[in-house]
Amino acid sequence: MDPFLTSRIVTDVLGGLTNGVTYGLVALSLVLIWRSTGILNFAQGAMPMFATYLGFALLSYHFGYWPCVVACVIAALLIGGLTERLLVRRLYGKPEINPIVVMVGFLIVLEAVAAAIWSSTPRSLPSPFSTIHWQLAGKPFALSPFTVYEIATALVVMLAVAALFRFTNLGLQLRASALAPEVSRLLGVRVGRLLTLGWMLSTAVGVITAILVSANFFSGLTPTVMDGIFAYGFIAAAIGGLESPVGAITAGVLLGVVNQFVTDFVNQNAVIIIALGILVVSLMARPSGVFTKSTQRRV
Amino acid sequence: MKLLAMRYRVLIAVAVAVVVTIVAVVAASTTRQGTALSIAFDLAGACVLVMSVPGIKASHPVVSRAALTLLGLDVAIFLTFLFSSSTNFNLATGAAMSIVLLGLSFLTGASGQISLGNGAFMGVGAFAMAIWANHHSTTPIVLTLLIAVACGALVGLLLGLPATRLRGPYLAGMTLAFAVAFTFILSSFSSWTGGDSGLQLPTAAVAPRWLVDFFQAGTDPLKTTTLYITDVAIVVAGVAFFFMANLFSSRTGRSMRLIRDNDVAAELVGVSLPRTRVVAFIVSSAYAALGGALLTLIDNSVSPQTYSFALSVTILSLIVIGGIGTISGALIGGVIYAFSTNFITWLTNQTGLNPQGNLASQLNGIIFGGLLILTMLFAPFGITGAARHLWHRMRTRSPR
Repeated sequence: MDPFLTSRIVTDVLGGLTNGVTYGLVALSLVLIWRSTGILNFAQGAMPMFATYLGFALLSYHFGYWPCVVACVIAALLIGGLTERLLVRRLYGKPEINPIVVMVGFLIVLEAVAAAIWSSTPRSLPSPFSTIHWQLAGKPFALSPFTVYEIATALVVMLAVAALFRFTNLGLQLRASALAPEVSRLLGVRVGRLLTLGWMLSTAVGVITAILVSANFFSGLTPTVMDGIFAYGFIAAAIGGLESPVGAITAGVLLGVVNQFVTDFVNQNAVIIIALGILVVSLMARPSGVFTKSTQRRV
Repeated sequence: MKLLAMRYRVLIAVAVAVVVTIVAVVAASTTRQGTALSIAFDLAGACVLVMSVPGIKASHPVVSRAALTLLGLDVAIFLTFLFSSSTNFNLATGAAMSIVLLGLSFLTGASGQISLGNGAFMGVGAFAMAIWANHHSTTPIVLTLLIAVACGALVGLLLGLPATRLRGPYLAGMTLAFAVAFTFILSSFSSWTGGDSGLQLPTAAVAPRWLVDFFQAGTDPLKTTTLYITDVAIVVAGVAFFFMANLFSSRTGRSMRLIRDNDVAAELVGVSLPRTRVVAFIVSSAYAALGGALLTLIDNSVSPQTYSFALSVTILSLIVIGGIGTISGALIGGVIYAFSTNFITWLTNQTGLNPQGNLASQLNGIIFGGLLILTMLFAPFGITGAARHLWHRMRTRSPR
């Protein structure tokens, strides 16, 4: 009989949780943009990836991990804001497929430019905490200092976003301009500015994910590092409902746990296939997401 | 004015008939090549004649489309005899790709939805073709192609069922997930799909006897085989375009366009929304599978790396640049695809970039991605849309 904490089940749950929070973060950043602008941002993985490359360029000037993280966040804010101002602003009110196509194009350009500048060979990022797993009675435990840092960071970011929307005046304005842009404009809310801010915020949430992912995974930082994470993040957001931040995060974390179990008990290849199956089934059951109330469409 | 235009057309028709008869008489007299040439000219002439009958486009649209298709095929096949083998090979891949583009164009143009997974549906067709050919190598090519199409349609149905209830970005995201998952699906069934190395076709397609006889003895067999494969691809593409043009203007096609423009109005006049959306999705994936199967036939092998997410993105870029929702857009996209590799190589040489360098290897993505964004922002219906716009402006400006 295994000790409980190092048993296979607990190991899978904790490992899944570690991956799940990154899916949850991506899903959250997708929901933020979807709620405010009605656009599904297919470049939501690539924009943070680019910011991460920019921020960690400081490594070659002998800066440490934390200054680089700050630089990443600043770069993400800039990229998010510029993208909204220069690219996305032209797409409001256009047919549904226009923003999809443009953001897919942006995804390709960002990945290609990143590979052209920094090459597509993976680069390893330094880690602020040890990635060696703790031992319990001679057996490896599922967590390491780094994974604890990862989960804690994700929780802090999620809580910060929630607090921003719930308790601050800025959050109230953001919610108002997403819900009823015309009315908000009449009431003196600078809707245009807030949309830019929404994109900046969402890219910043994304860059935290990108930093965690590219330090944690064996793959390191590559131009396509976020592709898979984006797919899982989208699946989580779609299952949870693009309207619901809490639903998206919950679905992300659950998806991470399910994936870990599939990896452990079936195999690595089956993971995305099972995730796709879950997506198809859940969309057939509830097309607008499991965690959202169904709304009527007005004609 | 109208009468004059009609007389003008009759005159052209008579002139064409005279020229065709003369050429035919001169050419048919001597050699095998001469006979073929005269048949080609006669066919082209007949098509032009049929199309120039006044009012035929309105009264017999199918006949007029068939004539246009035949004319296109005739000219294209005639040209393949003049081109070099490498150009023909490019044209063959372009023809296969144009079928895939046509499917996506139909999906978007007819239902307003978009798929980011058509590269994976292509892969379904490509692998179905290779797997079937490896197990039953005696099946004729046409039958194998049809089996591949059926497989594509089946997978399309599976993924299309939830799509009936999805709006806009959900379908795009779901098909994206399928495109990302596809390579993993392939390696899960590696005993069938050959794992990372893919599959070879057991017997390479060889030009039939009569085509070999057509050339002088001692002509490189590679040349005749490439020519044969190219012409097969072009004919299949022609048939696919003909069917699609009819589907676009059929009752189903019209109800699809109504759904795109106003789905509520469509339901009110009795169009079944789920059924029509599923049909659009199935047609699109079946066309993608046909293109993929042709590509397997052309390359004589299939490799899982080809059918990554990047291919789906390339497909999207090509059809957007050509003109999404249009038939000619698919043709333009196919031609662009046929020569894009050559163009990028040429550009690399002209700019003096290191061909093995980072920038040169990413030029494809930068150019196609950039064009995708610019087209969507400034000319949402691509080259076809821009051309139509120009044509319209010229027509309205000129004095009557």
